[in-house]
Amino acid sequence: MTDDRVCLALACVALAFASGCDSCDSQANEATAYTSVDQVFSEPIFRHCEEAGDLSVRSLFDTEETKSTGVLNRLIAEADHPQADVFWSGDPVRPFLLVERGLVAPYRSPNAEGLPGAFQASDGTWTGFAARARVLLVNSDLVSEADTPRSIRDLAEARWRGQTAIANPLFGTTTMHVAALFSVWGDDEAKAFLNRLRENEVRIAASNGEVKRLVVSGEVAFGLTDTDDAHEALAGGAPVRVVYPDQGDQGEQDDLGTLVMPTVAVLLAGGPHPEAGRQLIDCLLSAEVEGRMATSAAHMPLRAGVDVPEHVTALSNIEAMEVDYASVARTMERIDPWLREWVGL
Amino acid sequence: MFRRSGVLRRVEAPVALAVAAACLMVASLVPLTVLAAEVFSGGALRVLGDTLGEARTWALLMRSLGLSIAVTLGALAIGLPTGAVLGRTDVIGRRAAFLVLAFPVFLPPFLLAFGWFQLFGTQGLVGSAWTSGVLFGPAGLIATLALAFAPIVTAFTALGISGIDPSLEEAARAVSRPHRTLTRILLPLAWPSIALGALIVFALTLSEIGAPMFLRVRTYPAAVLSRLGGIGYAPGEAVALVLPLLAVGLVLVFIDRRLIGRRSFASLGVRSRQLTPMALGRARKPVSAAVWLLALVSLLPLGALAGQAGASGMADALDWIGPSMGTSLAASALAAGVITLVGVVVGHALARRRRGALALDALVLLTFIMPASVLGVGMVAAWNRPGTQFVYTTLAVLVLGLVARYGILGVRALDAVFHQSSPHYEEAAAAFGAGFFRRMARVVLPMHGRGVFAAWLIAFVFCMRDLDAVVVFYPPGLEPLPVRIFTLEANGPGPVVAALSVYHALLTAAVLAAGGLVLGLHGARNTKS
Repeated sequence: MTDDRVCLALACVALAFASGCDSCDSQANEATAYTSVDQVFSEPIFRHCEEAGDLSVRSLFDTEETKSTGVLNRLIAEADHPQADVFWSGDPVRPFLLVERGLVAPYRSPNAEGLPGAFQASDGTWTGFAARARVLLVNSDLVSEADTPRSIRDLAEARWRGQTAIANPLFGTTTMHVAALFSVWGDDEAKAFLNRLRENEVRIAASNGEVKRLVVSGEVAFGLTDTDDAHEALAGGAPVRVVYPDQGDQGEQDDLGTLVMPTVAVLLAGGPHPEAGRQLIDCLLSAEVEGRMATSAAHMPLRAGVDVPEHVTALSNIEAMEVDYASVARTMERIDPWLREWVGL
Repeated sequence: MFRRSGVLRRVEAPVALAVAAACLMVASLVPLTVLAAEVFSGGALRVLGDTLGEARTWALLMRSLGLSIAVTLGALAIGLPTGAVLGRTDVIGRRAAFLVLAFPVFLPPFLLAFGWFQLFGTQGLVGSAWTSGVLFGPAGLIATLALAFAPIVTAFTALGISGIDPSLEEAARAVSRPHRTLTRILLPLAWPSIALGALIVFALTLSEIGAPMFLRVRTYPAAVLSRLGGIGYAPGEAVALVLPLLAVGLVLVFIDRRLIGRRSFASLGVRSRQLTPMALGRARKPVSAAVWLLALVSLLPLGALAGQAGASGMADALDWIGPSMGTSLAASALAAGVITLVGVVVGHALARRRRGALALDALVLLTFIMPASVLGVGMVAAWNRPGTQFVYTTLAVLVLGLVARYGILGVRALDAVFHQSSPHYEEAAAAFGAGFFRRMARVVLPMHGRGVFAAWLIAFVFCMRDLDAVVVFYPPGLEPLPVRIFTLEANGPGPVVAALSVYHALLTAAVLAAGGLVLGLHGARNTKS
């Protein structure tokens, strides 16, 4: 009797492992995708790509707290035995860290033809599409139209002491934004700005999503976040206003431009299913996906001719910050120790 | 039929312990050793001095230790009296109150912090700028975690008290009032169990990362994560940062051995528990009210989440839940099974003070207090190899990670369980020629069936709530439910994220209810027999 029970238990264990062992004999048309694009937006796109082609997608998503870097670091940790075919990055900078390490295989997708040359690598290592921007999300109950901040420099203004928020610059798109400031302003000015933020008691939130939550709930008057977070706040009916900062309408002091960040698709070297990976990238770079990302996630299409919903600001209507993404990537790695010290970790 | 020789019988126990040790080593020692080897072969020794030479490293460690001590004291202040009252008195609705109180501990603290935010944020249900200021700071973190972890102390206190020989209690009650029996006899006898609860609270707080990050309190594990999840991927620095934690772990092992481990547990003897609960008399109603108030307070964050979810959120969440619930259940059930099997062998060896058991106990304790992200990176380093893809890309890697992280629960819970019975029964069976396996199957396990099942249940729900460990290495397409909640939390519709949290709570409640039913039926059957 006891032996029977043991056999039954072992059979159950074997069955349970077998049920979770789909990937042991994974299909040839199955692509594994790691992404730092929010799951709420990226998962429906993967489902769309599955339905659009003979493709199956196994996906792995980033958490909000380690956004953009958790998955990236897993790709680096898995470098000796790559598990993923595609990395869909939420920003255009982190893929350079993979390119530098030789973890990317060049791929020029036929669907990249309509995309501007400035948003794709000449050697085919990365291709940008569906972009976000860094914006100020302002609580309209707490801040009048006249007092609305127009520049990221306002985060350091004494009149907003303790009433502003940014996400932890060690993680997510805030890292890229800070690195972009270092690239454009130079180290001294950027460090001085960040130190002024600290003196001005800016709240360091765990993530951009939390910045949105703090602004929506009135914990702070305004904060620096991404357009998709801002869109979620607007869609939820929150009393907020979205400001594309530094558009030059206030004179020289705010002519920096708004930081624009395309999402980026890269084919990973040595992935288990390169052909399926290419197929997935073709789907991601299609005009239809750009349209879907505009509708669901307020991402700005980079190619012309894609309908932009009313709630999405077209790229052509924004004064964009002029940055070299490769340079920003190098700066990001260089300033990491200083940023950790600034955060206190 | 083959008749086993005396020599074979004698080696059964060491062989069983060796197999259990192998399981624990594969789960926890292999990943950490491989990671350390990779790191140090990459010249990380150079960064060791730099990382540990920074004053802010030690300041952050002191801060985290201070927070952990404060949370532990808070959990003891709440959990100890509650456990004593619920364990042995006639408080109204005792069992129901115990279940309600214990429930939040099985949810990721991050969810509870999120729930408190819905209440005490500036625009929360009862929030103001002041409440928000308190919540988003060390005081808020200590209160959140103390309330979240107090049920651990409550449970261990109640279990400790319920495991005491009824004869001792009867003798005390014959000559003294109930509260003196409780404070002078029962609590001192239950001290090893209570101290174990406190130790677990301390270790959980020290390794907690989600709630402190959400409440914007800088802690040591966040510093480790910043080396693994930040821009500059620096596993060498992360490993360097783990070294002081190993020292803390060794101190805990020392405290455990010197102050807790040598205090003897009382024995249940052959009597089953049939004592009537102590009558609280006139204090019954106020004490009951206080206990139920505390139970309801601990459920407030869940209520806030349910309120935010609403009916539409609960319906919409079904589109997002995917296979994560099944993954959570399967991985947790299997991991809890392994944890219990290993716990039966190592816990028994610990209770009977067998050679080697103490070292294994130290290993599971050290793994438990280590930041989960380090263990996670170690899992990637150890198992992402061409020959081990059947582990790395399947449920097996989740099971291994969970066994490594929560192995201590099985070992310690079953050590406490087996301590309750005298070794004389096993010695008597051995005198008649019964080997280790036969003694376990015929004497020990039948006597402690409830305790073994309870250990499995505890391990199961702790595995279900895990986020910090598995988030680093879960295979694509196999994310457990807490991970899915955490990844969807980024811009996911608030009601859907809240609803998924509620589903997680309901799933946990269902598992606990089913487990409670099994334990109740088993108890009733024992009482009849």
